[in-house]
Amino acid sequence: MKVIKEAIAGTLESSDLLVKVAPSDRGTRDVVIRSEVIKQFGKQIRRVVTDTLDKLSVSGGSIVVEDKGALDCVIRARVQAAVLRACEANQLEWERLS
Amino acid sequence: MNATADFYTVHPKDAPAEREDIRRLLAANDLELDDQIEVFVVCRREGRLVACAGLDHYTIKCVAVAQDLRGESLSLDLGSEVVHLAAARGQFHLFLYTAPHNLPLFRGWGFYPLVEVPERVVLMENSPVALERYCDSLRAQRRPGKTIGGIVLNANPFTLGHRYLVEQAAGACDWLHVFVVKEDASMFSYADRFALVAAGVKGIDNLTLYPGSDYIISRATFPGYFLKEKGLIEASWAAVDLLLFRDYIAPALGITHRYVGSEPFDVVTRSYNAQMKQWLERAASTAAAITVVEIPRASLGGVPISATEVRRRLAQHDFRAIGDLVPATTLEFLERRFPATVQ
Repeated sequence: MKVIKEAIAGTLESSDLLVKVAPSDRGTRDVVIRSEVIKQFGKQIRRVVTDTLDKLSVSGGSIVVEDKGALDCVIRARVQAAVLRACEANQLEWERLS
Repeated sequence: MNATADFYTVHPKDAPAEREDIRRLLAANDLELDDQIEVFVVCRREGRLVACAGLDHYTIKCVAVAQDLRGESLSLDLGSEVVHLAAARGQFHLFLYTAPHNLPLFRGWGFYPLVEVPERVVLMENSPVALERYCDSLRAQRRPGKTIGGIVLNANPFTLGHRYLVEQAAGACDWLHVFVVKEDASMFSYADRFALVAAGVKGIDNLTLYPGSDYIISRATFPGYFLKEKGLIEASWAAVDLLLFRDYIAPALGITHRYVGSEPFDVVTRSYNAQMKQWLERAASTAAAITVVEIPRASLGGVPISATEVRRRLAQHDFRAIGDLVPATTLEFLERRFPATVQ
């Protein structure tokens, strides 16, 4: 999927996260993650974010995650929502969202 | 009850009673209501206004939470609300002003500090990498030389005075980097101003012309600048704009000198020139000092040439008088844009 506009999803509340997605003029996929629990779960959070982006075939774009200690399923849902908005996806391929 | 349910937006110009409540909450937090704010997110609890955050285009200002409600994550809800409000208005790249002691709170909103004017104000943005990426794009344009100049032009519109300034500066440098203010807040649009600068500096070979950016004299870095056409001057935030230039933009391009035309008329620009010397040359900073060179304005018959004068004559449709002040390219544009009206 191609990121064609800026989009956000999520909140800054505890146990949630705010995901910002924007087109990248460099064509690369840049993921920046900030988390209040980066020391304990940084690797796991990055794995979930990367995996979610891979499943949606997002090859380019800037993805910034402000995590407030969200569970994996929440991270996945917020990343998906932000990406789908940023790609203006109307036809959902549900199996990619599992 | 849903904790976020009592948030709503207020357009201060259309809601005097709400505006007064906001002004009181801000005053209790030693803040003044900024008249540039188009819309506020506010929160009421049992009728009482307990939190607010204002949005001026893409800059968040005037954020306050009632003293007795701090420490219960109301501020994070407020942050989410204002970020979503900005997104709904098409603004994703956001800036934020705060007092230095509140910096940790806004880190929690996903904002990162750019520059600090000690004990006064911090400018933050909601990306940990945006400014660095912008500087990367500038670094690719570096040129060799000992004296590297920088000029920032609003050029509203481009005059022979601008041409003279650019010529003088280019003559004194190995290479000159010229930026055009991007904000669409002046009489002439950014696209028109840029095109006239590009046409007007033709023939000067040792310069690079850049589109403006949010980091150089923008609503975010220097909100006061865009009020001058309305004759309003607020407390000057020129320091923030100048520190950004000194700490990030100049080092990225290796700029050693900043050139500026002397300002005989405009109070805001004159004060900006004076502050330039303070913040680029004298103030403490980890970045090297930049020499500020003030070049006396070109004048015509003893009267300095200025864009203000061009706009004044334009109001009178006096194209013959304008022809003395602007290059042919600007004159053609003005004649095309403002054809003589049939009286």
